[in-house]
Amino acid sequence: MIDITGLVSTILNNQVNIPLLYVIYEFLLKIPVIGSIVTFLLSIIPLFDVPIIRLLIGFVLWKPMWVLLIIPGFATLGTMLLILPWLERKLVGRMQWRVGPREIAPRTRGSIQLLADSLRFLCQEVIIHKDAHRLYFLQFPFLYFLPVLLPLLFINAGAIDHPLVPIETPYALQIMVGLISLMPVFIMGVGWSSNNRFAFIGTVREAFMYFAYEIPFIIVILAMIVLYGTSNTAEVITVANQGSWLHWGIVLNPLAALTFFIATVMATARLPFEIPEADQELAFGPFIEYSGIAFGLAYVMAYEKMYVLSAIMTMLFLGGGSGPVIPYLGELSYGIWFVIKTLIILLVMVNLRGVYPRYRLDQGLRIGWGAMLILALIALVWSIVIGVVL
Amino acid sequence: MKKVATPDYTVADKLKTHVAALSTAAKEVVLPLNITTHYPRERKRQPECFRGFMLFDPERCISCFQCSFVCPANAIWMKEAPSGRYYPTVDHGKCIYCHFCVDTCPGGALKTTKIHDIAFRTMDEMVAMTEDMVEPPAIIREDKVVVDYVIDKEDLTLKRTKEVDELIVEIEPSEGVPMVSVCVDRGSCIACKVCTKVCESGAVSSLKDEEKLIVKMEIDSEKCTGCGLCVKECSMQILRLVRRE
Repeated sequence: MIDITGLVSTILNNQVNIPLLYVIYEFLLKIPVIGSIVTFLLSIIPLFDVPIIRLLIGFVLWKPMWVLLIIPGFATLGTMLLILPWLERKLVGRMQWRVGPREIAPRTRGSIQLLADSLRFLCQEVIIHKDAHRLYFLQFPFLYFLPVLLPLLFINAGAIDHPLVPIETPYALQIMVGLISLMPVFIMGVGWSSNNRFAFIGTVREAFMYFAYEIPFIIVILAMIVLYGTSNTAEVITVANQGSWLHWGIVLNPLAALTFFIATVMATARLPFEIPEADQELAFGPFIEYSGIAFGLAYVMAYEKMYVLSAIMTMLFLGGGSGPVIPYLGELSYGIWFVIKTLIILLVMVNLRGVYPRYRLDQGLRIGWGAMLILALIALVWSIVIGVVL
Repeated sequence: MKKVATPDYTVADKLKTHVAALSTAAKEVVLPLNITTHYPRERKRQPECFRGFMLFDPERCISCFQCSFVCPANAIWMKEAPSGRYYPTVDHGKCIYCHFCVDTCPGGALKTTKIHDIAFRTMDEMVAMTEDMVEPPAIIREDKVVVDYVIDKEDLTLKRTKEVDELIVEIEPSEGVPMVSVCVDRGSCIACKVCTKVCESGAVSSLKDEEKLIVKMEIDSEKCTGCGLCVKECSMQILRLVRRE
């Protein structure tokens, strides 16, 4: 028998504290008609001694659920997917003396371009050509959400003394590395099931790049674990914010931050390491056969991965959600700072497109196995030295 | 023999290049040196003498065919109006907008405008008939800003003004030099009457002399518009255009 009353009390005792919500609630009560509706809603069906509407809101505000659904989980990821390609096109346009999207909702500078695009994707036919492996072809873009969303369970978006992490475990960073290493497997699956020569070339390139960045990436994570002395994300934030921003990872070990950033760019196949997708000669590489909403999902795959890796970078190197406390927002302010930092990293990453041409595959591999590996090893040694000294 | 090789960059050189590229990009994001005119919403201010769509004033046309003769692209054809006079039609598929016709028109009947954005659905529509050229074509104006390019020392900058540029240029049409056709050698006239047929204003008349059994040609200088068609067509080349007294 499940102890439901105990569960309800667990949920209601572990709530995200946002004073603004109480202010809004009291304000709603004062408005004539809406106030009485709110009182009526609060009076119906007291389930386990709690009104059902309070239970629903309490479920969303339950800390693990809040982190998973709102910040930095599903809602933030969705918002990022909607605004990030628009921001990218706008900023790269400015860099290259163009205007970027503009015609849809010109007053808002074309900000709903992505919504319009996704509507078009929804209305388009999803073509599956007869040589493709039908099941995997349709499955993988959806399944890709698994390795993307699961690492979010271990990301700490809070600040010192206020961890906002759904699952607290001493092996959080290792699990995240493992889940992230799964992502290229899905992309390779996409390329394999497409059964197309360009998709094959793209897939092989993806595999090559995977080996090139994965080892420096793991070594850098190792360096950060050594530096913080823990791989529990809740403790990482506590250690990183001891002396305000002076103990942030980017200050203590800038080499590791640089290597992590380059590895992220490689992992998400952004320019200058857009080798697997290679718009000009491979025509989007592994995703060449997709159309309709499946293409929409395949298109945002890179952005999902980028978001997760940027969130990890914010947590490891930029002190998570620490920042000046915004009044009335309570624990939401940590989330806001976390999202702002993540967005800055994302924008820098995305706008490399306006600066760099693409490296050849061999150049990319040489950078991965050469410069980056050396940088990562130096970062590891540096971490050990700093860890011993401090 | 000289061998072409890649230059040797040190790590410091490479880092410097990366930093320069990234900082340039950051600078452009904040303050782009963009000098593009956002065309349908903005319009560049064109000079008064801009060679655009041509307007035609039938009151001033003397049907001299000069525009048609001078056209290097053979775009102008003279079509007969119901009144019996000939007026120019411009084939915009052929027109190269050199505006020789505007320059050569003795009566100032053709006029230039700043309209450069005209669209046609079919090839047939591209032949602008005379009646299409009397009134300016209908334009949907979306522009609310006029853009001036200002050359400031070395840099080219944009200056945006909130106004709507008038596309129809108000220029006084040239009066031209009043000319009249005269016969310089009456003795050589063979009375072929080509000049009578060609004259649209009915200034040339023939008079039959019953006694001498000859036909006398007469040019009424009051009616003559000085278009010079008879001068061109005269088979004996005895007609001249002279300045009207």
